[in-house]
Amino acid sequence: MAKEEHDIIVCRCEDVTLGEIRKAIREGATTLDEVKRITRAGMGPCQGRTCRLLVAGEIARYLGKPVSEILQSRYRPPVKPVKMGDLSVISEEGENSGCKCREEVTGQ
Amino acid sequence: MKTTELAIVGAGPAGVCAALEAASYGVKVTLIDRDDEIGGQLVKQTHKFFGWHEKSAGTRGIVISRNLAGSVEENASICFMGSTEALGYYKDDGVLLLETPQGIEKLKSGRLLIATGACEKMILFPGNDLPGVYGAGAVQTLMNVHGVKPGDSVLMIGSGNIGLIVSYQLVQAGVKLAALVEALPGIGGYAVHASKIRRLGIPIFTGYSIKEAYGTDCVEGAIIWQLDDNWQGIAGTEKDLNVDVVCLATGLTPLCEFLWQAGAGMAYVPALGGFVPLYDENMKTTVDGIYVAGDVAGIEEASTAMAEGRLAGLAIANSLGKVSAGEFLEKRRVSLEELEQLRAGPTGKAIVEGLAGLRGQMGKRVSV
Amino acid sequence: MKGGILLTTGVPSKEQVESRTPPKSRRERGPFVVIECFQEIPCDPCHYSCKFGAIKQFESINDIPEVDWSKCTGCGVCVAACPGLAIFVVDETFSDTECLIAIPYEFAPLPGKGDAVRLLDRAGQEVGGGFVHRVLPGKKPQGTPVVWLRAPKELSMTVRNLEPVEKGGVSHG
Repeated sequence: MAKEEHDIIVCRCEDVTLGEIRKAIREGATTLDEVKRITRAGMGPCQGRTCRLLVAGEIARYLGKPVSEILQSRYRPPVKPVKMGDLSVISEEGENSGCKCREEVTGQ
Repeated sequence: MKTTELAIVGAGPAGVCAALEAASYGVKVTLIDRDDEIGGQLVKQTHKFFGWHEKSAGTRGIVISRNLAGSVEENASICFMGSTEALGYYKDDGVLLLETPQGIEKLKSGRLLIATGACEKMILFPGNDLPGVYGAGAVQTLMNVHGVKPGDSVLMIGSGNIGLIVSYQLVQAGVKLAALVEALPGIGGYAVHASKIRRLGIPIFTGYSIKEAYGTDCVEGAIIWQLDDNWQGIAGTEKDLNVDVVCLATGLTPLCEFLWQAGAGMAYVPALGGFVPLYDENMKTTVDGIYVAGDVAGIEEASTAMAEGRLAGLAIANSLGKVSAGEFLEKRRVSLEELEQLRAGPTGKAIVEGLAGLRGQMGKRVSV
Repeated sequence: MKGGILLTTGVPSKEQVESRTPPKSRRERGPFVVIECFQEIPCDPCHYSCKFGAIKQFESINDIPEVDWSKCTGCGVCVAACPGLAIFVVDETFSDTECLIAIPYEFAPLPGKGDAVRLLDRAGQEVGGGFVHRVLPGKKPQGTPVVWLRAPKELSMTVRNLEPVEKGGVSHG
């Protein structure tokens, strides 16, 4: 099994194998955030959309807890990597896109 | 800051139907999609849809999306922002952060509809990162949008409607289907779709899964094997398949990030694909002003997504005081009945049970 | 497995097919429809496609289509209308030795009239040879083409697909 674990990719963005995930869990990383910080699983372009369920499944199995408990993690914005430079010039008025929508907010 | 009456994230079947319904009552809508085209997954659905003949039954998804896109373009109340990805929702300010082709900007809306759909579930097996291992959505996009064959010979994993339909479309594109495997003891999708691919001579192996994909630089073959009652492969049952593509149609899970960010009440319902938002008969979540429709509210068929979108659009227009009480109640009744009918067959049973669970958790929050 | 062989293999059982086959007396009278739709799914275009009212009105959208054999003319309009490609027409009165079978066929290129084809059963297995009797190409981009095959009479309830014999056609599976 050990050899196989290294042939199975869990996080494709960051090239993290099942072996690396299991090792992190065995060593005490038992939340999605902890596994992420140690292995980088979920830190790539897709921000965990592909691997989140798989990592949660591994943690749940190890702890003997329902996967739903593990999945309740924070989903901080932005949901995909964005360049710092782009964030520094956020448009307040929507002139960036040239969109003409200017309706008043109603019904608040 | 840019503002709008209704912002809709996702211009797929749910989002577009909601936009058109809300706009028909004069609601000003900003419709956002990361694609430059309107239609979401419909743009690659070359098969005919089921449902009511007077709705979209018998119409191919690509035609439905073309019709919907035409209606949006003609509608002065809807502003479509294509190639624009929502990056996050900041609940304290009620601000949506958008990445447009021209840069990042903020948007504030009176109402927000999350119609982000779903993403594919991945499975674990040796070789699952080899070039040639695709999600079914990617295969469909390559073939039906870009006209590119993903390979010459395919192993399909998963017998839900997506796996069955994409298998059929692969053969239509001139690709050989070596086999379709399904881990469960029975076929997951509609029987008519399964019968279509069996008539093409494609073997369906139920109770089987992939053991590994192998190859040096890309997929050169794949081994499948039978599963025992504990989902473990049975040694000696292996079949070696000469394929250059492994296509994963192993299920979808709702794309709920913005709902978590909004602090919406969520529930874990496996029958609906994982965590889904709690919502009421108006498609409204537990957060005031935030609505959901389509796969993000539970994985179902596109016909259901369209019906939910229309209901959400109606309810949003009503919440903005644009629909008379009588008309709203009558149209909502019809809409809810339509949804009930779409789920009434045996294939909708698990979904109905899942939704009943959601309603239970929603408790007495339901209000008109 | 609940649902039987259809839901484990995709091939309907003999009993299921028989349940959609009209009585002998009707079969001897001319072409008839065979609706191989065995599962309650939300879908109703077949009923509305029939101008003769031979596919009975649905009470629920999930109803399984039911045929009024006295009204069915075997025209084949419903073959192209069924989104699930589950409807066929069989004519066992074509000649003493041959029958006609109408099959929805969404593959390019379409075979031509008179072409020799391999006849395939519900599992895609070759069961004999036949010829294309006529081809209704269907209206683009929506229409489902329908190929009418000439097949040995004894295969009327067996053949449900075709494969062009000549190269250049689509090679299935």
